[in-house]
Amino acid sequence: MNGTVEESTAEQEPETSKRSGRKGGNSLTKREGRAAYLFLAPWFIGMAVITIGPILGSLYLSFTDYSLLQPPEWVGLDNFERMLNDDRLHSAIVVTVTYVFVSVPLQLALALALAFFLDRGVRGLPIYRSIYYLPSLLGSSVAIAILWRQIFGTEGLINQLLDVVGIQGEGWVSHPDYALSTLIVLNVWTFGSPMVIFLAGLRQIPTMYYEAAEVDGAGPWTRFFRITIPLLTPIIFFNLVLQLIGAFQTFTQAFIVSGGTGGPADSTLFYTLYVYQRGFGSFEMGYASALAWFLLVVIAAFTAINFLAAKRWVHYGD
Amino acid sequence: MVHIVGKGAARFGRTATATAAAVFLLAACGSDDGDSGGDEASGDEASGDEASGDVSIRFAWWGNPERDEITNQAIEAFEAEHPNIDVEGDSIDFDGYFDRLATEVAADNAPDVITLGGAFPREYGERGALLDLSEVAEQLPTDDIDEAALSNGFFSDVQYSIPTGVNTFAMVVNPDVFEEAGVPLPDDETWTWDDYVEIAAEISENTPDGTYGAADRTAPDLIDLYSRQHTGDGLYTEDGQIAIAPETAREWWELTTQMMESGATPSATITSELAGQPGPEQTLMGQGLAGMQFDWSNQLPALRSASEADLQLMRAPGESHGVASGMWLQASQSYGIYSGSDHPEEAAQLIDFLVNTEEAASYIQADRGLPANSEVLEAITPELDEDTAAQAEFIAEIEDEVNPDLIIGPEGSTESVGIVQRLNDEVLFERISPEDAGQRLVDELTAAVS
Repeated sequence: MNGTVEESTAEQEPETSKRSGRKGGNSLTKREGRAAYLFLAPWFIGMAVITIGPILGSLYLSFTDYSLLQPPEWVGLDNFERMLNDDRLHSAIVVTVTYVFVSVPLQLALALALAFFLDRGVRGLPIYRSIYYLPSLLGSSVAIAILWRQIFGTEGLINQLLDVVGIQGEGWVSHPDYALSTLIVLNVWTFGSPMVIFLAGLRQIPTMYYEAAEVDGAGPWTRFFRITIPLLTPIIFFNLVLQLIGAFQTFTQAFIVSGGTGGPADSTLFYTLYVYQRGFGSFEMGYASALAWFLLVVIAAFTAINFLAAKRWVHYGD
Repeated sequence: MVHIVGKGAARFGRTATATAAAVFLLAACGSDDGDSGGDEASGDEASGDEASGDVSIRFAWWGNPERDEITNQAIEAFEAEHPNIDVEGDSIDFDGYFDRLATEVAADNAPDVITLGGAFPREYGERGALLDLSEVAEQLPTDDIDEAALSNGFFSDVQYSIPTGVNTFAMVVNPDVFEEAGVPLPDDETWTWDDYVEIAAEISENTPDGTYGAADRTAPDLIDLYSRQHTGDGLYTEDGQIAIAPETAREWWELTTQMMESGATPSATITSELAGQPGPEQTLMGQGLAGMQFDWSNQLPALRSASEADLQLMRAPGESHGVASGMWLQASQSYGIYSGSDHPEEAAQLIDFLVNTEEAASYIQADRGLPANSEVLEAITPELDEDTAAQAEFIAEIEDEVNPDLIIGPEGSTESVGIVQRLNDEVLFERISPEDAGQRLVDELTAAVS
């Protein structure tokens, strides 16, 4: 993969090609169009059967009382009213929002910083890129979550290191004040995927801009803030949207690290974990569906706000 | 989601889109790993495939490799006796068992023979997921099974499940730790909760750091026991309401806070960490790091082999001083039949074999509690290994003095474990007072069962 990324960054984007193909009226294009749909059919079928179907099913369930074991009973808006007075839900929202708004900016900043330095022509770039990308592949896996619990446990690696310098560490994952931080660190650590995208974006910025700026006497900071950042805004935006959505949906790490409880004392009770507990722990699938729909609406709203705000700060350079 | 980002992505070129696609694919793989995590343990094909018969039934249980091995031996013996029945064993660890069961029942794809425990027979039975076992009484007679144990699966005049064996929630003590601390073992027929608190503190003081007088095992079972001793009522009333008073729970948490502060029990972080590690070998007692720990009697063999110490079972403190005895005998697990099973009769035959025959008991012994069938118990008693015999002796000793009333929690009460653990964390980390915790316990339990 690394090779192709580098090759394709070298060529300029054929901006017009994608528009011309769509309008074509000749029969070859039509035939190709049919073939395309044929090849896409498995995806469409999969989307309809295993995504759209269940999503609509859960919309219905969100208006019912459904214990999983008995048929659902229509209860109207009861589930949504209940959300207003559910204290644990409110603490789950606080936990999730804290996580999203702390970990995503940190992660993106780290990703951008490393991409920037790697772009300065480091020897063995593909190797570094792979190494930094690796955590993104591993970050949401069960194995890493278990490893994390060990690293931050009372007798874990972190405390053994602290012990060497004479500090008696806490059991980080089992203390309500620190448990969420360990998960934030875990998310920041998976900076690899936005970093790779930043790196690709940086390579697209024509060097002549920098050369021109240098001739005009612009220092490195000016070049970074006046050229790099503005030209990179579409990519920053793209990463922001993706990472925000992903962070809102965090589940695996929280589930494994807390053993499914969201503990200690609900300090890692992520929204999705709470949905899971309601659905599978207390047999309240109707309420869980309502919660899931609320999350969908919130994520959609944040994404919409993102897109609206983007008009003010994202420059597409055209 | 793909569409939303796709539009933006096209603008900055093939590179980014290609990378993004890769990220998506890889990200998708990543989360799949997470989803399948629970399933990995399920691939345990337990039955011998060679014995493929006319009827195939599925039998699910939770456990560990040792339990799987002895259960599979029993299944093979059953298949040899009933060549027309093929039993597919299905085992998973406890953490994932009930999540998966709920999903399978919802999908109408549940195992024919279901292992249940605690309040789950009632939870599933009253929701229509379990067969009324009187329908298969011919295949599954219950005459020799202990009445009290049977009552653990009997709700609303229906027998939903058959006990696998008898169990009791008791104190496990490690004589080696007592000796190291120079503290004599208590007399469990007379000791009080104050004695318990004092002894625990003394042990912690006289042993190296990291060894504690007692583990903090606050859980619904323990609060139930404490409350029964102090007020005669446990957590629930017979008709499925909440019986425990907030003051009783407050007293319990005052006791545990006091013990933590004196060092008798570990710090809040360690207790909270241990709560997430349910395996007997992971507990303080299993690691040989505690003098005393509440636990279920059938854990004794596992705890003994993990700690390599000659652990003993004892009565809970305060048994002879309270309003009533707090301890009770309970079915450690029970077997039920899925109401949608295609082969209820064959399923009943399997359960009959497991609970009513010496042959099955010779493999399973007391792994799921001491056999509740008195004849089977008598027959296998001479064969019991030392650890199991100790457990049998203890249960025989207390059988007549424990509280015969046992109230299984109503629908929704299986949430109590999570509620108590959360409140315990909140109290130990000093986020709420024992008083608030007591009130919240009653409020949250009430909400859970209503």
